[in-house]
Amino acid sequence: MMKPSPFHPLNLVLGLIIWALWFVLLYGGLSVGCAFAPPGAEAGAWTWINAVSLALALFVSGYLLVCAYGCWKASPPSHAVEVEPIKTFTSKTSAAVYLVSALASLALGLPGILLPPCV
Amino acid sequence: MSNLPDQANCEREERLEHVWANLPGWGALAAVNHTSVGLRFMATGMVFFLIGGVLAMLIRTQLALPEQEIIGASVYNQIFTMHGTVMMFLFAIPVLEGAAMYLVPKMLGTRDLVFPRLSALGYYCYLFGGVIILSSLVFEIAPDAGWFMYTPLSSHTYSPGPGSDFWLLGITFVEISAISAGVELVVSILRTRANGMSLNKMPIFCWYILAMALMIVFGFPPLILGSVLLELERAAGFVFFETVGGGDPLLWQHLFWLFGHPEVYIIFLPAAGIVSTLIPVFARHPLVGYRWIVLGIITMGFISFGLWVHHMFTVGIPQMAQAFFSVASMLVAIPTAIQIFAWLATLWQGKVVYHLPMLWIIGFLVVFVCGGLTGVMLALVPFNWQVHDTHFVVAHMHYVLVGGMLFPLIAGFYYWLPHVSGRMPSDKMGRWGFWLFFGGFNVTFLLMHLTGLLGMPRRIYTYEAGLGWDWLNLVSSIGGFIMAIGVAVIIVDIVLHFRFGRRAEQNPWCADTLEWAIPMPVNAYNFSSLPNITTRHPMWENPELIESIAAGEHGLAEVQNVRRDIYGSDAVTGKVREVVHLPTNSWLPLLTAVVLAVVCISLLIKAYPVALAAALLALVLVLRWGWDNCAHPRAAPVREDDPVDPPLHSRTCDGPGLWGMVVSLMANGTLYVSLLFGWFYLWTAAPQWSSPEQGRVALIPMAMSGVLLSLAVMIYRNAVAGLRKGQADGLTLKLWAAAALGLVHWCVLIWILQTSELQPTELAHDAVLMVALYYLLLHSGLAVIFTILQALRVKLGYVGPELPYEPVVIQPFWVYTFGVFWLSFAAFLLLPMAWGA
Repeated sequence: MMKPSPFHPLNLVLGLIIWALWFVLLYGGLSVGCAFAPPGAEAGAWTWINAVSLALALFVSGYLLVCAYGCWKASPPSHAVEVEPIKTFTSKTSAAVYLVSALASLALGLPGILLPPCV
Repeated sequence: MSNLPDQANCEREERLEHVWANLPGWGALAAVNHTSVGLRFMATGMVFFLIGGVLAMLIRTQLALPEQEIIGASVYNQIFTMHGTVMMFLFAIPVLEGAAMYLVPKMLGTRDLVFPRLSALGYYCYLFGGVIILSSLVFEIAPDAGWFMYTPLSSHTYSPGPGSDFWLLGITFVEISAISAGVELVVSILRTRANGMSLNKMPIFCWYILAMALMIVFGFPPLILGSVLLELERAAGFVFFETVGGGDPLLWQHLFWLFGHPEVYIIFLPAAGIVSTLIPVFARHPLVGYRWIVLGIITMGFISFGLWVHHMFTVGIPQMAQAFFSVASMLVAIPTAIQIFAWLATLWQGKVVYHLPMLWIIGFLVVFVCGGLTGVMLALVPFNWQVHDTHFVVAHMHYVLVGGMLFPLIAGFYYWLPHVSGRMPSDKMGRWGFWLFFGGFNVTFLLMHLTGLLGMPRRIYTYEAGLGWDWLNLVSSIGGFIMAIGVAVIIVDIVLHFRFGRRAEQNPWCADTLEWAIPMPVNAYNFSSLPNITTRHPMWENPELIESIAAGEHGLAEVQNVRRDIYGSDAVTGKVREVVHLPTNSWLPLLTAVVLAVVCISLLIKAYPVALAAALLALVLVLRWGWDNCAHPRAAPVREDDPVDPPLHSRTCDGPGLWGMVVSLMANGTLYVSLLFGWFYLWTAAPQWSSPEQGRVALIPMAMSGVLLSLAVMIYRNAVAGLRKGQADGLTLKLWAAAALGLVHWCVLIWILQTSELQPTELAHDAVLMVALYYLLLHSGLAVIFTILQALRVKLGYVGPELPYEPVVIQPFWVYTFGVFWLSFAAFLLLPMAWGA
């Protein structure tokens, strides 16, 4: 998947934009799933909706973790005098944003382990 | 750069003053300067605060004892509705916007905001909108359905009077102000920083304001859409929120809280910015964890948009969906906690000086942390169910909002007061004010948690004796009055300080940010010359800036061609890219706001022809406003001595106007996405949704109309691509061709609308479709008008290969119009056919 250079300022928000899209997809998808193909209440959490949402949560979080690692790895060390401080700032902050986004994306998927989707 | 002798320097500053000053006398109403507009926002906001406070005292008087009849149920409903409305819409957001407008250019090392007339328009919309809303209270026809106007209570059936109309139209009017401020602040922060002020050297306050402004851009449109739809339902009988016909009252709740919950953070973020600015100053230590705080701000800005359903936990949403929002509600505590720990670490590392503003910061930390903890409690669904709509929620809300916003705001007032007045406030009176307010606040609201846990619902105008609520309400009311005395002491202190306050020395608090490098009281142009920035703490590391700036040793020290000039800089590195010439004093913002007020009042009294005429007049005024830009003789006509390195922004292809257009389209796009959300929500969730068997809109003509629009966009883009390369071959012809094709497309849309058999008063399906069609019509029409004006400006020499700025600014509007057309075609016409809905 295409992503900008680790020093591009878009990285400062991209992780959370992905999180927001994931949230919309999760909430919207749940509503549509429950409207058109609702699993029975007796199935509890063992439903296709929960399985899909958990799998997607793992995928989204994994992708965001990779992005976080990429930004962190590209960050110049703080003591490297020849590097513009703005680059260090952007890449390290972006790495943290991606990490937070990954954790937040995973957290959104966790209710799928326990709760029935449409009740 | 020069070191001028004193006499020459004085004359230079006189020239700056002459160019930047407001007009004298009544001419001050034409002021567009950010200092004047920011102060007006704050002063007006404080007046609204006092009015909202009086309403709060009436509420506490009524509830002090059981079974009182001081205020009847009907008036009580109006009072609590107006208390919430005034405090949230007319005080909290505008006063913080005003503070941001006043401070941001000064902190960024520039002379004004980038769209000054927009600031002035925003102020007048706010003022007139606020007066219109409050006038309803005077006539005893105020809205009475609560500050969040839930349907069906606010519908025509259950609120037949004009109260809800005042709210819907007045608040929408005020929101023009908020969005204009949002656009203004985003572009100013990103594009007009001092030379060298890269993002990592930006004052932390500006990070907070950037996040707040972007949140306004994305947060307010859902409520604007909701208000328009509800007003259409009330005034014209369209179906959106009534179950019969396929609407759903819960759609209103979604649209309201899509705005409403981010709004809490829109209020909190600038206040937290004040805290992050003041703590290092009084701790005499740089902020610990600057980068962590930036992370916290960005995270909070996003996650706060994922919490809105926690206001709707009791409406019957599936458990798993509730859990998403419960998780997000708990997640948002983490970036908040990051900031609180960073503040504590800064205090721990530094040597704290407990001046008066610091007292308010300590009060903030105590009160806000308590509010945050009850917020985590409310994020838990079972607990939320138990205390829903009780006084526990009222207590939590006030701890968060007063703690999270008012305490830092007053700290900020005291801190920046010398900047405005050149005098210091009274420490003694200020401390009295603080302790009275802090004590009164906690007496009022700490006990209110218990009142709520004992089951007292919010919004009841009286209660029976003996339910266990009597003494709690009495003590809360006493606390309320103590708090009011505290406010009175603070007001007296501030008023008296203008006359009796000790003269403030330069940079009286030993602060680190640039606003303290300019004279006090502040002048019209802020900086006599625009400094280069090499550090995050310019006043600590380069205190000599005060003298060197005043001596004209930095950039843009001399006035050029009687223009208001500032630097435009790179959004990331802060390196200067262009000289931005700003408009001077103008009556157009005031006139436009007056005409918009006529639109608002005409809609209220249902004089629709007048409203339509006034709306057209407002459009003419706005176009007239845009006419004086760029190379127009009243702006920056081409001259031989025009600067080339850096050039004037109107000679470039990437000036602030383009950024302003893109940010405005983000707000516009959010409104459109909200409409799409409403469409899909009603389709999937409305209990009686139905769609006509035959499509209401002629599909083939619609597609043909879209083809015409696409051709227009292609031609326009081709014209702009040529301009970017410095070529003007056939420019006029291309612009006229794009306008002509756009016009034919628009006419076809009109024909489709007229021949369609939409029944918006019968079916929600048709009502949404009609709104979507009008939305497309509006955009296509505006694109055509803009392009015709551009073609005329090419002929007059205001646009050309050397002056490509304006067509480049308008291009995103065409592309947006193209995008929403085809998206609408797919979502509103094709998808239902494919799905068989």
